[in-house]
Amino acid sequence: MALNLVVCLKQVPNPDLQFQVAPDGKDIKREGLNYKVNGADEYALEEAVRLKEKHGGRVVVLTLGPKRTEPMLREALAKGADEAVRVAYDDPAAFDVGKNARILAAAIRTLPHDLVLTGVQSDDYAYSATGGLVAGLLGLPHASVVTRVAVHDGDLEVACELEGGLERVVALPRPALLTIQFGANTPRYAPLPAIMKAARQPIKEIGPAALGLPGWDAIPLPYAFGVVRLSPPVAKGHAEMITGPIPEQAKKLAQLLREKGFVRR
Amino acid sequence: MAGGILVIAEHLDGKVAPSTLELIAAATSLRVERHGVRLVVFGHGVKELADHLAGYTVDVLVAEHPLLAEYTGDAYVQAVRGIVESTNPRLVLIAHTAQGYDLAPALAGAMDLPVLTNCLAIDLQEGRLVAARRILNEKVHVEVEVRSDRPIVVTMRPGATPPQGTGRGTMSVTEVPVSIDPAAVRVKFVRMERPEVADIDLSSADVIVSAGRGIQKKENLRLVEEFAKAIGGVVGASRPLTDLEWLPKTRQVGQSGKTVRPKLYVACGISGAMQHIAGMKDAGLILAINTDPTAPIFEVAHVGFVANVLELLPAVLKELKAG
Ligand SMILES: Cc1cc2nc3c(=O)[nH]c(=O)nc-3n(C[C@H](O)[C@H](O)[C@H](O)COP(=O)(O)OP(=O)(O)OC[C@H]3O[C@@H](n4cnc5c(N)ncnc54)[C@H](O)[C@@H]3O)c2cc1C
Ligand SMILES: Nc1ncnc2c1ncn2[C@@H]1O[C@H](COP(=O)(O)O)[C@@H](O)[C@H]1O
Repeated sequence: MALNLVVCLKQVPNPDLQFQVAPDGKDIKREGLNYKVNGADEYALEEAVRLKEKHGGRVVVLTLGPKRTEPMLREALAKGADEAVRVAYDDPAAFDVGKNARILAAAIRTLPHDLVLTGVQSDDYAYSATGGLVAGLLGLPHASVVTRVAVHDGDLEVACELEGGLERVVALPRPALLTIQFGANTPRYAPLPAIMKAARQPIKEIGPAALGLPGWDAIPLPYAFGVVRLSPPVAKGHAEMITGPIPEQAKKLAQLLREKGFVRR
Repeated sequence: MAGGILVIAEHLDGKVAPSTLELIAAATSLRVERHGVRLVVFGHGVKELADHLAGYTVDVLVAEHPLLAEYTGDAYVQAVRGIVESTNPRLVLIAHTAQGYDLAPALAGAMDLPVLTNCLAIDLQEGRLVAARRILNEKVHVEVEVRSDRPIVVTMRPGATPPQGTGRGTMSVTEVPVSIDPAAVRVKFVRMERPEVADIDLSSADVIVSAGRGIQKKENLRLVEEFAKAIGGVVGASRPLTDLEWLPKTRQVGQSGKTVRPKLYVACGISGAMQHIAGMKDAGLILAINTDPTAPIFEVAHVGFVANVLELLPAVLKELKAG
């Protein structure tokens, strides 16, 4: 029952950073950002590697993005992926989730896949749409916000998280697509020898020609998409901000708690 | 009967999701010309629910089928597809909930439609849809546009639009036929699992001090516990901490955890992701401690402290002890 597993990994700017809008308002300033693998995708990769270890098979990691994604792919190889594929789509922003998903779907069509895993949402754009779109485009059954996966002979049984801690358990046949939720497992660290080995492994590049397209803009889209403008958020409300030396902030906080009657004495 | 906006109702255990009323309000405020807004209720035995929803000044369609008794992506995509094909709306509005993440993109993929998700506000203009979104941990606002002659699938973030109230008189309720090919329903509902009973009930606490990833180490929880004790509160957490098992799942505040409404909520090292905010935004007094002055938690907090929580809490404890 060896499984061909494909995991979609997205590289995102470290979300703890502060961001500035580029002068043309069409993207953030990208110089000097540091990038990492998307949080939920770490769980998707770990889930795939565990399924491979349990049932046999191969894990292919797939990203759509510029050359800077290569260290992320090598890290995935070091954590147990067998092959890394980069769809060489170089738009640093890539805001159009429909276009990204259509290109990813076209790439997945060229790879053997019993199970496709994505993260539940990207930390930068938070669409929670790529997985569902790919499933719809490829005609795969799918389940979202998955916290547990069990593989049986013919099918899968998975738990999908709903609001308020409820979980819906569903069964579905393979091939299928699952979007994996944070906390689904405990992602491993890459062992040093594996990191050394991954540094030498080749990364397969897919350009538009490999998918039968003269260029990425030739991918048929049922719409035209545009970024109107990025801007700093205008908050509906905002906290009264306390800054300054810690002892002074502490005094203010303590005073506030007393005034409001939250200190018992 | 082309045009207008199709709103997909969400319900569970016979109760309408609050987000559905927000979608009705969002759709109604777009003032579409022809046919206006129609709300579709999918399910099995949901006639009563549909009648109830017609009280929110919206025309309701009821689409009943035994295979819609429990939500599955496959059955819903087929059912929604049928209605989208026969009514050809300009927009299909769905809530950005767990069900919405599942349904909206899969519908768009299967029907080759444009989709925009997690929108805070939308505006339908001549020939284009403009949507406002938040990206990069809520720190950047972005407006995007989509032009298409096909229906556009849109999901709206819960909590972003004030909900529709009930109006005078009720609107029409029309049953519409649904055909679902059982062989094409590959996803099968197995069972629901309810959350375990809590060690403490966060939702009844008056004071909650929540810890987030900003506390950095499990050992630092002690500090948060000590502070909570000093002000008669209990300790809650953001999701990463319960995922790491630093605290039990029952302490998690937010969309997939508890919704709380204490008199005082102190967020310690929590960024303020929408899924966390969803669970605590209605607290009486919200204080936030965060090193990043641009953290979105400061948008819902009443008082914000730009400080290292690991330095501020010991200093506050000292102040409180000094009396
Ligand atoms: C379907 C779904 C459901 C979810 N449900 C929930 C839910 O129910 N509840 C929930 O909480 N999340 C939920 N999440 C996760 C959510 O999206 C965020 O990832 C999570 O809330 C972030 O937690 P955090 O704020 O602790 O961590 P981070 O976002 O990493 O924020 C840490 C913050 O700490 C600050 N910081 C760092 N060091 C310090 C310091 N020394 N002192 C002070 N501040 C510091 C940083 O500036 C940052 O703002 C869900 C996600 C999905 C996709
Ligand atoms: N450019 C990309 N390359 C590879 N995977 C992606 C890309 N964009 C999104 N994904 C996958 O889709 C998931 C959901 O992303 P999103 O729809 O943007 O919230 C991510 O967790 C990734 O697994």
